Amino acid sequence: MVRYGMVIDLNRCIGCRSCAVVCKMVNAQPPGTWWQRVETVGSEEHMVPVGEYPNLSEVFLPVPCMHCENAPCVKVCPVGATWTREDGLVLVDFERCIGCRYCITACPYGVRQFNWQDPDENVRQGFERAGFDSNWYADGEYRYGYPVDHRTEDGRLVYTNKRPRGVVEKCTFCVQFVDQGISPACVRGCPGNARIFGDLDDPDSEISKVLKDRSAFRLLEDLGTEPKVFYIPPARKEGKGGVRYGEKI
Amino acid sequence: MGRKYDIAMVIFGLLGLLGIAAFIYQLQKGLIVTNMRNPFSWGLYISMWAFYVGTAAGGLVVSSAINIFGVKQLKPIAPVASLSAFIFAISAMLMALPDIGRPDRLLNLFQYPNPSSLILWDFVVLSVYAILSAVYTYVQLQPRIAERGISIPLIGTVMKKEVTAAQLEELRRVSERRAKLLAPVALPFAILIHTVTAWVLATQFSRPWWYGGLLAPTFIAAALTAGPAVVILASLAIYGFKEDLKPTYRLLAKVSAFSAAVLLFMYYNDFLVRQWWGNGREYDALMLVLKDNLHIHAIEVSFLLAGIIVLAKKYDTFSGLVTGSLLLNIGILAHRYILFPPAYNLIPFRVPVVMAGESFEWEYPIALGEVRGTLLDPQPIFVSYWNYVPSAVEVAITVGFFGLITFAFLALMKALPVRE
Repeated sequence: MVRYGMVIDLNRCIGCRSCAVVCKMVNAQPPGTWWQRVETVGSEEHMVPVGEYPNLSEVFLPVPCMHCENAPCVKVCPVGATWTREDGLVLVDFERCIGCRYCITACPYGVRQFNWQDPDENVRQGFERAGFDSNWYADGEYRYGYPVDHRTEDGRLVYTNKRPRGVVEKCTFCVQFVDQGISPACVRGCPGNARIFGDLDDPDSEISKVLKDRSAFRLLEDLGTEPKVFYIPPARKEGKGGVRYGEKI
Repeated sequence: MGRKYDIAMVIFGLLGLLGIAAFIYQLQKGLIVTNMRNPFSWGLYISMWAFYVGTAAGGLVVSSAINIFGVKQLKPIAPVASLSAFIFAISAMLMALPDIGRPDRLLNLFQYPNPSSLILWDFVVLSVYAILSAVYTYVQLQPRIAERGISIPLIGTVMKKEVTAAQLEELRRVSERRAKLLAPVALPFAILIHTVTAWVLATQFSRPWWYGGLLAPTFIAAALTAGPAVVILASLAIYGFKEDLKPTYRLLAKVSAFSAAVLLFMYYNDFLVRQWWGNGREYDALMLVLKDNLHIHAIEVSFLLAGIIVLAKKYDTFSGLVTGSLLLNIGILAHRYILFPPAYNLIPFRVPVVMAGESFEWEYPIALGEVRGTLLDPQPIFVSYWNYVPSAVEVAITVGFFGLITFAFLALMKALPVRE
């Protein structure tokens, strides 16, 4: 049985947020909505180290949906619009969600996003706030993002770039690509190659080998959500590739 | 009634229209017109839902007390009590409606029910409770309806039958017997609506302000405070402050005041447990109550305390009963509102940061879900604190729905032969 998961090597993450941007673009997220976040741990501003010189720390932590084995969002959904597919992907059916937002309350990772208004209105506001005179989307059918609607085998709508209003959405591990045997966009778009995506149940897959060799951790382990996103902790950078400050700068 | 009644109906009717207009506006624009956002996803509507579930308690508790525990003092006001239970159970479900992003898909609840979701079960128990209360009210009123009928404006009196004194006596006996049969069926649901509503929140391990076994008992205590207080107000409006009803009011006032005291005990017991350790998520949730939301906490506690004192001392005066009941209800309302800020503003995803000489929990920010700022005046999309204040639309819908509910309640009270 296939069971998809992801490993993010924090040693390789440079905090560039390419994953967040490529995710947003490919998955047609309206302005204001982000499925993928990258922040500097402990810092109020991204890319600003915490601590006092010379004891500084700068760890970047990318957070997609954890696709938990014991997903609270799946358990709370009154209509089963969020469910765990056989391959372990936690998906949202855009045509079934009633918009009660119980899942947003239940998710401890804050990855779930609600369409508070018509996403086209977000786009219009986005152009307006950025100082453009006209709404480039005002006419025509074009919307950014992967252009084809995607349905699971049993016909449930899990991706569309014409997002309905009043439904919850989140990271799908790019289900539209995974179903074609292609890795998620964030994995392919990462310039540091920090992410590995694959089948956790296949002992020969790259992800299984990486997890066998190295110690990894998961986020909020104590809540028992059993995420399928694993992190390789960052090691202190010294020597090659690291920065050493001598007596004099 | 008469003139005062007409004025009240006009005011509540207008408020109801305002609420419907605001609801239509929200349906057009989307939930963006509320001040809820991704990090703070439930607000005033869900507070009111929990509040109305509580006020629905009065009815069946009163009715069951009569038929199961034989508390005859409560008998004269039983129809008003069970009618209030019906109205408020419906109101609770009605109040959840504007919170739903896709009300057009509500039938999915029947088509694709997920049994592990407690929202679904809450909907089930509330519906059953509403139906039972309606049936219970009808059973109690059956003899009077046969005798006097239901008077509907413009249509006139319906369902009136020509009955002899003997037939009426028989009807009364049947009604009494059926009420006795219904009460033990209804009582478990009267308890369940509060516990299941509490479980919706109390099962969420990621929200330390709710999580745990104490929330359901406090919901019962809050319901036994608000429910009887609402029944006192409704009975005073319908039957007035009569000499022979004094023992009834006295008993209801005692139940309400005592429950409020129990609620405060359980509440502060929880505060002490959270406070003692002095650190951690449970403690931080408490600090959000005592620092950021101290004004709401002050309202809930001072109104509850004042209500307890007034009802315990002045239960034999009209003004005392009205003031005490109102104070307790406002206190419970604030108690319901404060369910949410300390739950949401404690971001569940916190990363411990340990640096030389200091350690702290860092909250991972959440995207708001709205377009913010401009090119020259950028504002953060990712926040770890959302200062939620209900928007004008939320307030208008809430107040409007309250008007609608009161309007319906008063109309039913006039139409049905609730008086002896």
